[in-house]
Amino acid sequence: MFVLTKLKYLATPINYLNSSITLTFSTCCNGCSREKLITCARDFQGAVRCVAASFLHTSSSRYDLMEFFDDEKNWGASEVKVGRAWKKEELRIKSNSDLHKLWYVLLKERNMLLTMEHEAKEKVALFPNPERLDKVAESMENLESVVRERNRAYFELETGETGEKEAVFDHEELGLKQFPELAGKRISKHIDEHWHYRLMTLFKGSAVAKFKKLYREKIANEERKARNRKRNHVMHLLKRFPHIDTATLEKLYPEVNIRKAMLHKKTLGNHPHNRA
Amino acid sequence: MRLTLLLFENVGELTKKYANLPERYIKRSMEQVYWKTPNAIQYLPRTVQRKKFRFTTNRPWTYQFLQQNERGTHRKKVFVEPILEWSIFRGDRVQVLVGRDKGKQGIVSRVIQERNWVLVQGLNCHMRFTGKDKDFPGVAVLSEAPLLVTNQVSLVDPSDLLPTKIEWRFTEEGERVRVSERTGRIIPMPLMADETHDYKSKSAYKESPKDTVESELTKITFSPTLRTFEMDVMNEMEKKEENVTNVADVPS
Repeated sequence: MFVLTKLKYLATPINYLNSSITLTFSTCCNGCSREKLITCARDFQGAVRCVAASFLHTSSSRYDLMEFFDDEKNWGASEVKVGRAWKKEELRIKSNSDLHKLWYVLLKERNMLLTMEHEAKEKVALFPNPERLDKVAESMENLESVVRERNRAYFELETGETGEKEAVFDHEELGLKQFPELAGKRISKHIDEHWHYRLMTLFKGSAVAKFKKLYREKIANEERKARNRKRNHVMHLLKRFPHIDTATLEKLYPEVNIRKAMLHKKTLGNHPHNRA
Repeated sequence: MRLTLLLFENVGELTKKYANLPERYIKRSMEQVYWKTPNAIQYLPRTVQRKKFRFTTNRPWTYQFLQQNERGTHRKKVFVEPILEWSIFRGDRVQVLVGRDKGKQGIVSRVIQERNWVLVQGLNCHMRFTGKDKDFPGVAVLSEAPLLVTNQVSLVDPSDLLPTKIEWRFTEEGERVRVSERTGRIIPMPLMADETHDYKSKSAYKESPKDTVESELTKITFSPTLRTFEMDVMNEMEKKEENVTNVADVPS
């Protein structure tokens, strides 16, 4: 019975009764001006038509603006317990239409949570379990990646390409390599006038060479500092924990020469026993 | 460079497991961004934020943790002995090797992996006085001080209730178990080790109204078809693609 997954997402189809529509409409437009009421009514009719066209829907039986808010019994609660996010392997067994519905359930949940968070901030109140936002976001990320997986599989099978935006290694203006996503389809470099222009004019000259030299120096400095920092850390560990397992250190810090570090002044410390 | 920094600031796996919180949330709640470049083309993406945190008994996503790592403060680095394989978990019976309760056995109530610490129920305690005033001496609260897992506590062999060193081995079924080096007996994993902030055990979890029930979760509704996601959804809704420039692209 271990199921923590968020959100019950399959709901039975509901017939839209006129009475329920008028009821919810009146609640949603309480206290509006006349013009606002008319536009609201127009929007509302449109929305109803749109939903009715889809026939099967997944939301609860409320259709008003209060859907942006949490259940009334959760108002002012100090803790609202929910399960974990959807995992990829759970989403992979769901059909495309199920994923489509789930996406909108998650989207609505996110809207609701953001509204509640905003409201809590306004009222200087506690927003219970803010990790719910992250759980929804994680689920949405996973869902999107599963959809991408499926589309990629289709395109690879049909066209031999991924069907996604292409990205190629290219030099940017200062001669650094970049991996930008291309907006459109790549054309061959030899017939690409833009590329030819770039080749003739950009990433050339002494200024670019100087920049590249300094840039390489900067990266080398960072690497050197990181190396020293690691070695220093290892020496301090050896100093504080003299009986430490060197195999562990070698595994965690493969680039540090442990034997050499063990004999260093910093490792030995200032005790006369070690100095001798 | 970034990797090493990440290694040091990492929240322990056991801490995360007990919290049962998404990693993203822990990261978000710990974050202390001092300055971030605006999201515009003239700026390189740079963030100035706190990188070094002092981990204590306060959990990293709490307000107390934030207070201890207050903005603009800097505390001396704490060196923690690296451990490759963690072997003491919540609910384990351990013997205290140092301090006023030396030789006594107790149950591990908390693990603070970031510092190699464990708290043992009712052992290695001190009195904390809260609410102290000039008229009122304060209320005494018994609080356990942390003990290092490396040399201040030792796991207890359940067969003879004596402290022992352990080794990780595999059973014939392929299960990874802790084996006492002295007697060769398996030290079973305590039930408390699976406990999280939300539930005592996975089977004891109570579903909330927004959770998907297991029968719905495990239902396989996917059947592979030669369609993209969009084509499949449109097909189901009985909609036709209208914005097609190339006739060959029309899905069948």
